[in-house]
Amino acid sequence: MTAAIEAVAAGKRYGRRWALRDCTLSVPAGRVVGLVGPNGAGKTTLMHLAVGLLRPSEGSIHVLGDVPDGDPAWLAKIGFLAQESPAYARLTVGQHLQMGEWLNPGWDSDFAGARVAALGLDGDQRAGTLSGGQRAQLALTLAVAKRPELLLLDEPVASLDPLARREFLQTLMEVVAATGLTVLLSSHLIADLERVCDHLVLLVAGRVALTGDVDDLLSSHHLLTGPRRDISSLPADQHAIEASHTERQTSVLVRTNQPILDPSWTVTPVTLDDLVLAYMRQARDGHPQAPTMAVAR
Amino acid sequence: MTRFAWLQARTQSLAVLAALAALAVVAAVTGIHMSHLYAGLVAHCEARGNCGVAITDFLSHQRFLQDALDLLMRLFPALIGAFWGAPLLAREMETGTYRLAWTQSVSRRRWIVARLGLLGLMTIVLTGALTLTVTWWYRAVDATQASRYAFFDRRDLVPIGYAFFAFAVGALAGAVIRRTVPAMVATLAVFAAARVAIATWVRPHLLSPLHLATSLLNSNQFGFESSNGSAPALVVRGDAPNGAWTIASRLVDGSGHTASLAERVAFVKQNCPNVVPPPQVGGSGPHKVRIPDDVAAAMDSCREHAAQTYHLVVSYQPTSRYWTFSGWSSASSPRWRSCAWPAATSGSPGASAEPGATHRPRGQVPLVSLTA
Repeated sequence: MTAAIEAVAAGKRYGRRWALRDCTLSVPAGRVVGLVGPNGAGKTTLMHLAVGLLRPSEGSIHVLGDVPDGDPAWLAKIGFLAQESPAYARLTVGQHLQMGEWLNPGWDSDFAGARVAALGLDGDQRAGTLSGGQRAQLALTLAVAKRPELLLLDEPVASLDPLARREFLQTLMEVVAATGLTVLLSSHLIADLERVCDHLVLLVAGRVALTGDVDDLLSSHHLLTGPRRDISSLPADQHAIEASHTERQTSVLVRTNQPILDPSWTVTPVTLDDLVLAYMRQARDGHPQAPTMAVAR
Repeated sequence: MTRFAWLQARTQSLAVLAALAALAVVAAVTGIHMSHLYAGLVAHCEARGNCGVAITDFLSHQRFLQDALDLLMRLFPALIGAFWGAPLLAREMETGTYRLAWTQSVSRRRWIVARLGLLGLMTIVLTGALTLTVTWWYRAVDATQASRYAFFDRRDLVPIGYAFFAFAVGALAGAVIRRTVPAMVATLAVFAAARVAIATWVRPHLLSPLHLATSLLNSNQFGFESSNGSAPALVVRGDAPNGAWTIASRLVDGSGHTASLAERVAFVKQNCPNVVPPPQVGGSGPHKVRIPDDVAAAMDSCREHAAQTYHLVVSYQPTSRYWTFSGWSSASSPRWRSCAWPAATSGSPGASAEPGATHRPRGQVPLVSLTA
């Protein structure tokens, strides 16, 4: 599997504050990759490093095999939809498409025109008067019509209402199905990612807490519920991610590639939501091997 | 990229162009009228011997437009800096559109060169059109002024240099501050400070002035100065010939030494004990005080006595250097730094002060200025 984005110990510092630190990750090509993480995890900083709007303060990042340095030929291979879908408020929808055509050699004006028509956008309307959903759709059209190899979307649906969000993701899935381009999509709404992503990268405090294909992640994690017991007694191939104990019962999220053989466990499949939350808590609180709170009772 | 830069600059450029076109129409109609007035009132006043009255009469016409155009020439460069230069980058940063602009398939260097270049060019072209219009409109009024340096920084080339300088200051402020309104304010402040600094400290020294030595009695203002009733000092204001720009006038003794303030006070004290400041008048602000006859006589004899000890040296820039000074403004316009951010290099001459403010011929009157 080749990597569309390869970061090695990348970090970005603003003055004395690190927005991203020691970030090592690999985004596989040809996939729709969800980038999740709590606010302040460094998702936007990572995106800006990847499209060359920022330079790393330390470490390195390679995108499509090159260092992001603003070279026009390299930029032509990147589509970027920045947070809040920026657009020139005083320019019309049509002028934005004109800009795309003038500034991008691979511009697909048929696609852009058809897309805008399908969205029902008026070409003479100023971008400043578009609704949030329409502006996001316009920005997506601009990013996709330059025919990039890699499309990066920074929380594109964060400010959209549920209907606009669904329509936006629908458009995105159509585009992906039609072109097969690599997508990196950041969001903190895991339900949205579950609908479109087949690969997941969880970023917590600038570090990768979890990465893998969504199907693999779901099939290798199980929620075990049974009588209260010490989780250090789990078999060696079962890695506890998170455990909680009541007086009589223990539930534990484990990662394993082996079947669960112990008949005292009730095995429940996990959702992506469970998984992401468990890993976020683990990254925040440390490893669950010593459930101190429960022991204290 | 140039086409897109034009798309972004189009509205503001055409708006200014339309305003200038309207101004040109007004200037054409009134300017021709002013030419006729000049021809009728001033052109042959020498023969009629009534030049003073004729010029005053002539200048009382279109007073509003004279003031308005003069103010416009002072403000226009600053407005270009604040409204064109400052928002150029600041607004992209503020609204986040730089993330859209800089991820198109165009290098950032080309983007900034196109945007700065196009608006910079429009600045030069439009300011050029404005200064051409205003210089043409003012030609009759200017003909009544003794020195071309009096309106130096509001005519011909200097406003173009100023406008381009202000534009570059604005663009730099926008790039550094990244917010539109603070960048506009900073631009106005820096530009105003630069104008004053250039006029006060830079421009007079761009070329070494010429010197003219003459008798003190030839100067148009030679007298005594006293503030708050302190001991009076000799003062002199000499006019350089033929509408030149007077930089300084000094009292110089026979050995070529320039008299300091202390020496000028000491001279009066030693040689002219009867020259005394008039009695204090209550309240603040300047007062007109009638000088007693005996003091006036003492002043006259003291002036003659001083003229035997000292002579007058006037430093000036001759009229023939007018275009050299104007040219400095264009030649020393801001340069672009290698990273394509505009660098605010100083050097444009021109100023709010009026270098040749001595345009009204005056008789040889004693100068007694009093500051209560």
